[in-house]
Amino acid sequence: MIRRVDRYRFREAGGFVVDASAKRGGEIVPFQTVPDPESCVVLLTQHAGRSNVPLVRPGETVIEGQKIADSDDAMGVPVHAPISGIVRKIEDVYHPGAGAGAPAAFIERHAPESPLGSRVFDPDRLDEVSTETLLGAVREAGIVGLGGAAFPTHVKLAMREKAARLVINAKESDPNVACDLRLQQEYPDEIVAGIRAMSRILDPEEVIFASRAGPGAFPELEALLARAGVAVAHIRPSYSVGSEKLLVRELFGLEVPCGGYPPDVGVVVHNVFTAYAVARALFAGEPLISRGLTLLSRATGPRNLWVKVGTPLRDVLRFAGLDPERFRRLTVASLLMGRSVPDPDVPVIKATAGICAFEPDEPDPYDRSLPCIRCGSCNAVCPVGIYPALIMEAEARGQTARLRRLHAEDCIDCGLCSYVCPATIRLTGSLRRATATVRPANGSGASSGSEHPGSGDTDRPFGRGQRSC
Amino acid sequence: MDRPGSPYQIELSPHIHSGITKDGLMARTFLAMCVPAVAAGFAMGTDALIHIVLAVGTSLVCRLLITALLPRGSRPQDDRSAASPLVAGMIVGLSMPIASPYPLTVGVSALTMTVFKWLQGRAFGRKYVNPAAASKLVLLGGLTLAAGLGAGMLFYPGHLRLDLWSAAGFDRVIEFYETQRLSGIESLILWKTHGWIGGASGLAVLVAGVGVVIWLKLKWRIVLSLFLVIGSLAILVGALTGGDVVGRLVFHLFTGSVVFMGFFMATEPQSTPMTDGGQCAFGALLGVGTFLLQQMNVLGGSIIALVAMNLLTPFFDRIGMRRPYGHGGGR
Repeated sequence: MIRRVDRYRFREAGGFVVDASAKRGGEIVPFQTVPDPESCVVLLTQHAGRSNVPLVRPGETVIEGQKIADSDDAMGVPVHAPISGIVRKIEDVYHPGAGAGAPAAFIERHAPESPLGSRVFDPDRLDEVSTETLLGAVREAGIVGLGGAAFPTHVKLAMREKAARLVINAKESDPNVACDLRLQQEYPDEIVAGIRAMSRILDPEEVIFASRAGPGAFPELEALLARAGVAVAHIRPSYSVGSEKLLVRELFGLEVPCGGYPPDVGVVVHNVFTAYAVARALFAGEPLISRGLTLLSRATGPRNLWVKVGTPLRDVLRFAGLDPERFRRLTVASLLMGRSVPDPDVPVIKATAGICAFEPDEPDPYDRSLPCIRCGSCNAVCPVGIYPALIMEAEARGQTARLRRLHAEDCIDCGLCSYVCPATIRLTGSLRRATATVRPANGSGASSGSEHPGSGDTDRPFGRGQRSC
Repeated sequence: MDRPGSPYQIELSPHIHSGITKDGLMARTFLAMCVPAVAAGFAMGTDALIHIVLAVGTSLVCRLLITALLPRGSRPQDDRSAASPLVAGMIVGLSMPIASPYPLTVGVSALTMTVFKWLQGRAFGRKYVNPAAASKLVLLGGLTLAAGLGAGMLFYPGHLRLDLWSAAGFDRVIEFYETQRLSGIESLILWKTHGWIGGASGLAVLVAGVGVVIWLKLKWRIVLSLFLVIGSLAILVGALTGGDVVGRLVFHLFTGSVVFMGFFMATEPQSTPMTDGGQCAFGALLGVGTFLLQQMNVLGGSIIALVAMNLLTPFFDRIGMRRPYGHGGGR
């Protein structure tokens, strides 16, 4: 059964509203599979953590599903070849997550071969498998948080002692992403199988499926969840509640302490797409080499696509019938948090939940900003209760002590302050610099303002580095 | 922020905007102020409307001159917009006493636009004092000092004979507002024929003010704390002097210099604090200052308290900060 989910006015603090109507109806658009590209550009590090090292060399032949990069770091997650082909070169390309250059393998497709699979588990006999084996399988499948922060999933799943509650975040808060809801319509079995597997590993006292959709929107999924003993929490439409820390507050009234993570208050949060990926990895032997995403443009509206990781945006746009050259701005991930990219050859990565293409007559709304009028809208809307305008002021004056008093490190980079600013000031740059100023230099390896990789934060869609308090 | 050689525009997030603009806020404020302006036209006659038109017209002319005569770098960044001078002119018009001569209104409006809006912004990068209040204080205060209260029109000199500290004295003040059809209290709330033009109908200002606070999401803590403090002090003094407590409350809240100033001048964003506690302290101290000035017969002197509080805004911005999420501040 296909039903529309009509809750696209996301209520925020201070009485403000995020208009997510651009993705209206996206949940009824079925996934289409983008054909394998002639050439893939696979970034060798696609998780929040230390860099991987390549396991292949130029000229080597690889098979779909073959591991091509990995690290011996505990937080490391391997990357796999999304297509069978020949590695032509390994060189730096623009990383849409980091916003900087990073090594990538260029794989040229050749005649298809049977993809490499990994060990497949019987979903009904998971109790006979050790937790360590399951965690190892999740890691080897290269699974990271698919909400956007790309935090290694096996690391979160290993927090068994801390996890009294497992929350599946199906909030789908980004104003341009519709694929999470679509996934819930098309793949309810896989989602519930993934949740079961995660529950088996974490052994929580309670499992909650947090959804933006109202009761009855996805009857099949709801019936499966009920059978699996998973409670469904219907969350109010809100963008900021998509952040896992704020979701924890919304659901349980708990506050994750500064510098901490949800497991510190007994909660582990995973994205619904991650649950699906875990199911595919454990029960179909499929590493994470493709994902669903939503392409949004004025010409196409929201389109849900199934895309191989490493596919250049150019190929995705062409598949949707769009000429990549006609756009002036291309953004990846969330419209409120994601980056715009320098060219359409930038590849899809594991964390790419959305792509937006803006025509030349859709200019950057922040092009003509005015001086701050101190209206306080940014302060009122801030979901974590900091004062973005005062932070911007202190940052401009180089007042580090004041930045600490203002708790600049608590910014979750949600972008709401800029979104409501009547002077159309993009505050994010200033806030990122401020956060970097007050954060310790060794803060979990995070460089200033980097969303991921390199960020130790599991918060999504608000990935930033570890905070100081 | 384009990358050289790239046809694509590279920007940080976010990439969408709510559509709330400064011009939009200004236009809404102007529309809201039209309500007390129309009420003033009915209560005070065409004189009130002439003051408003003169103030707004002067403001627009000053903006045109600034834009035409100054080089591009010295102009206000929103020089193509008429919203800002419209609002500034309207505030000046509505904050003038109906008894003031027209040239004074023109002078205050011109000073507001040239010195306290344009020059202040250019010199300090922001406005530290409310332009209309500061202009009025400087021009009228200067005239008052130079030529006496009658010439300065900062407030009506006849008010100095009032005695607001006794019940009998206060009753005479209330009688002053009585008309053939309305009691003093009714007149204060509905229909005044003297005082600030913007306060001609306290009820109209209240309706427009509450509407604009909700509509624009203004700094409501200032308004709330201001009226709470003034109201509390009015009740306290009323109780202590044994007089008409309701009358005191209405008098202190609905004189034009309080009700109009509270909604449309005390919430001017640039010259007021941003922290939650800072806004409350600002409003509360403004209330104390305004109340005391009223008690000392300086009716209309609320702008003195306002400018004083404006100057303390950098201090207020350092106090009363809420605790963020993660520090026990889950909201």
